[in-house]
Amino acid sequence: MTLSRLARIVRHRVTSLLQRSRLDEEVDRELRLHLDALVEEKIAEGLTPDAARLEARRALGNVTALREACRDQRRVNWCDDLRQDIRYGWRMLAATPMFTVVALVSLALGIGANAAVIGLMVSIDRDSLPAPDADRLVAIRSVSQDNPAGPRGVSAADYVAWKERSGTFDSIELSIAGPRDLGNEGDTAAERTTGQSVTAGYFRMLGVNPLLGRMFTDEEARAGARVVILSHGLWQRRYGGATDILNRSIPVDAGRSTVIGVMPAYGYRSPRVEFWTPMHVAPSATPAAGRLFGALARMKAGVTVEQAQRDLAAVSAQLALERPVVNAGWTVRVVPLREELFGWTRQPLLTIEAAVFLVLLMACANIAALLIARGTVRHREIAMRVVLGAGRARIVRQLLTESVLLSLAGGGLGLLVAWGTLRGVTAMRPPIGAPPIGASQVDFRILGLTAAFAIGTGILFGLAPAFAVSRFSPGMPHDTSGPMALPRRASAIRVALVTGQVSLALMLLVGFGLLTNSFLRLTQRDLNVDPAGLLMFEVRTAAPQKVVGQNRGVPYVEMLNTPSQTMSRIRERLESIPGAESVGGISFPPVDSLILPVMELRVERKSSDEDSAEPLRSAYFLVTPELFKTLGTPIVNGREITDADTASRPWVAIINEAAARQFWPGENPLGRHLVLDSGPEEQPREVVGIVRDIPTRHAQPEAQPVIYASYVQQPSRYRGPYGVMFGQMTFVVRHAGDPLSLVPAVRRAVAEIEPRPISSIISGEGARALRAERSRYNLVLLGVLAATGSLLAAVGVYGLLAYSVSLRTREIGIRKALGAGPHAVILFLGRHVILVVLTGIAIGWMGAIAYTRLLASQLWGITPTDPWTFGAVSLLLLVVALLSCIGPAKRAISVDPTIALRSE
Amino acid sequence: MPKPADLLQGTLDLLILRTLAREPLHGWRISKRIQELSDDVLAVGQGSLYPALHRLEHQGWIVSEWKDSDQGRSAKFYELTREGRQQLERELQNWKRLSSAVGLLLKRA
Repeated sequence: MTLSRLARIVRHRVTSLLQRSRLDEEVDRELRLHLDALVEEKIAEGLTPDAARLEARRALGNVTALREACRDQRRVNWCDDLRQDIRYGWRMLAATPMFTVVALVSLALGIGANAAVIGLMVSIDRDSLPAPDADRLVAIRSVSQDNPAGPRGVSAADYVAWKERSGTFDSIELSIAGPRDLGNEGDTAAERTTGQSVTAGYFRMLGVNPLLGRMFTDEEARAGARVVILSHGLWQRRYGGATDILNRSIPVDAGRSTVIGVMPAYGYRSPRVEFWTPMHVAPSATPAAGRLFGALARMKAGVTVEQAQRDLAAVSAQLALERPVVNAGWTVRVVPLREELFGWTRQPLLTIEAAVFLVLLMACANIAALLIARGTVRHREIAMRVVLGAGRARIVRQLLTESVLLSLAGGGLGLLVAWGTLRGVTAMRPPIGAPPIGASQVDFRILGLTAAFAIGTGILFGLAPAFAVSRFSPGMPHDTSGPMALPRRASAIRVALVTGQVSLALMLLVGFGLLTNSFLRLTQRDLNVDPAGLLMFEVRTAAPQKVVGQNRGVPYVEMLNTPSQTMSRIRERLESIPGAESVGGISFPPVDSLILPVMELRVERKSSDEDSAEPLRSAYFLVTPELFKTLGTPIVNGREITDADTASRPWVAIINEAAARQFWPGENPLGRHLVLDSGPEEQPREVVGIVRDIPTRHAQPEAQPVIYASYVQQPSRYRGPYGVMFGQMTFVVRHAGDPLSLVPAVRRAVAEIEPRPISSIISGEGARALRAERSRYNLVLLGVLAATGSLLAAVGVYGLLAYSVSLRTREIGIRKALGAGPHAVILFLGRHVILVVLTGIAIGWMGAIAYTRLLASQLWGITPTDPWTFGAVSLLLLVVALLSCIGPAKRAISVDPTIALRSE
Repeated sequence: MPKPADLLQGTLDLLILRTLAREPLHGWRISKRIQELSDDVLAVGQGSLYPALHRLEHQGWIVSEWKDSDQGRSAKFYELTREGRQQLERELQNWKRLSSAVGLLLKRA
């Protein structure tokens, strides 16, 4: 096709669209000219003017039809039709504002929430990680065959072996993150933050270049050079983005380090890490059991995760044979980095997506039901149009246009909802380690998804009613003047839709009920700590130690000073603060501590032959006197540790009830001895007290055994990594008033003895609020969805009943005329509704059992099929359904028999 | 006078294009010209001419313009475009192939 012809065609089309009336006029003029010419010709042939005109008209044919035919040639009819349909549809929607608003709101919620959640899931799954060839990056975990879900760290010795023997990796690098100190610098106060030690090739492996400066060199790592790379966040926050930061010497961990680089804004692994220092693992690393390190690796190009897994598993099998003491029963798992970083988000997102999808389904069902109802009310108008010559396809198209119009508007609103939701998610303080979701994520993918949903649902729920109402025979418009002639099928579809809605609402409500229930149980869980008036903070002090040898394949460590003396002095000083009613200390926070030492032990029982059973395991804390008094934890039996329990006195221990139950079943543990596996210097400790369980993890269903020992009755040498217990103490102070008012005094008091600032300051109530906040997030979200769902179901039931009342007005009238009272009328109508609602609830139960399985991991202290929750929400839904019947029922009672009979 | 034969569907376009190949004409003249040239054997159905003209115009084969006619009244004149001329050539070839094939078939049948 030549360009000039194309241009001509386009011009014609545009003119046809925009200047319709002018073109019509031209056609008329042309036809008139032709007619005149014909008439003249006939006159010339000898006819009278009147006869000529008549003859000419006949020769030319139907002028209107000709005009139509000319118009048809313009090929833009569908545009005109569409314009007409849209205008007509808009008028219909504007004429029934209630219907339109309900439809739009439910669609906006359904579409918007779906687009938001799916958008989130897609971006977590697809968005490129900020590293080149990120698909080749994997995390490596050591997995204990006894406890596959346990800790995931790897040991230095394993790392060395993997590096030497595996053939599928370009590089394997170790890292270890932990609390680290940044010292006083001029006006900038000292602070405790998170730092990470990494092997020299760490950043090279990631392929992430520093924003400023350079990466660590192998020499620096090997020599233990005091160099540091800052995170973008720390550089901005603490150093104001100073451009001369490189080569500056800053105080890090009781020493000074030179800044050699600054990383770009998004760091890997933990967004909390604020600086990095080099570390070195020598090829001759001691085969320690300490699996403390995180391992990341870059696979060789073309290697699959499965190949890498096989490769490392083979090495692990060799190691298990060579070093059975530390490696027997351990294998290895290679996990793609994306999975390692974001895999945990899948389950909660899936739960939410399921709920959101239910809401969308309900919105569609509601609108389909509403459209059918409207279709049946409008059948007279439609029949009339059929009689006037509208094609069936044309009518279906008209109804489809209406519903697509509706769903497009809903989709537009939904886009706003999606955008708002994502903004909200971004604005909310995301959980640590959440994927980096920027506001920019409201992108074309989500836009496309929203549009697809909108149009898809429009067609979906537009088709059924459209066909239902277009199944009229044009011959019967006058017979269909009353509601008695409504198509049966439409009403059956409607009943099915309402049933479905009720069951979906039940599923949502059950999910919400379970989460609420579990939330309430969890927040009201008795931790056996009295939060009111309790102040908690962490004190750290130097605890240098030296590896002096090995004990059964594990490093044997000697404490070089006695931090316990520092802690004693701090405790005495704190006790002298005015308002401090009592003071206690414990090596780690008693609940939800990041580090939780677990100790192996043997216990003495009544009959001596039972002593030599399998070693037992227990959480282990060092405590000061008066700890339980300060925490408000009841002592069930025996006594607390006192100042009289000095290092030279017989060693003692306090256990919790769980330990009493598990270690001495059916016996009184008081006076019995236990031996901890801390090394040869350990002495047997006599159990002098039993305290109520303080769960070490807030969400832990059953408390685990815990042993508390005095911090002064300790060996000077420890086997394994337990030395970490000594450099710190979480102090608790009880005060009659607001505990936070003591903070300045506490700060000053500690500073007199220990230069390191106190950290993790929180009140008992604050800690409780923080715990509650974690589970509230999901709850609020699901609550909104469940409320929306129930509302939609109520609207559906209301619609069904209102429709059925209007349908049976005559029947009700006859019944009333025959003497039926209000009760009988309500019973007659109610039977129908209750059947629908009960069926919906029964189906909903089955769906809910499937759905709540998704929730199981987020529930606490309640089973996913809790009968009370199921029963309560069923009742609630029934009540809501019955409440929505009040309006239509009133109308039915007030039906006047005479009018009702005449209305047909 | 025998009734003029109905036009074969689709040949109308060809006839119009052929008529306009000589000079620009308006609707009435086109119908008269077709009738004259065919010695009154072919008569374009008075009405069907106009949809055909509009169709050809919308396909870009012809263009129209309002001009004074020989009777002194303003009329819509249609004129062949360059592409329309090429289209006419193509349609003529088609027609010749078709008519000779039909003629051959009738002779042999």
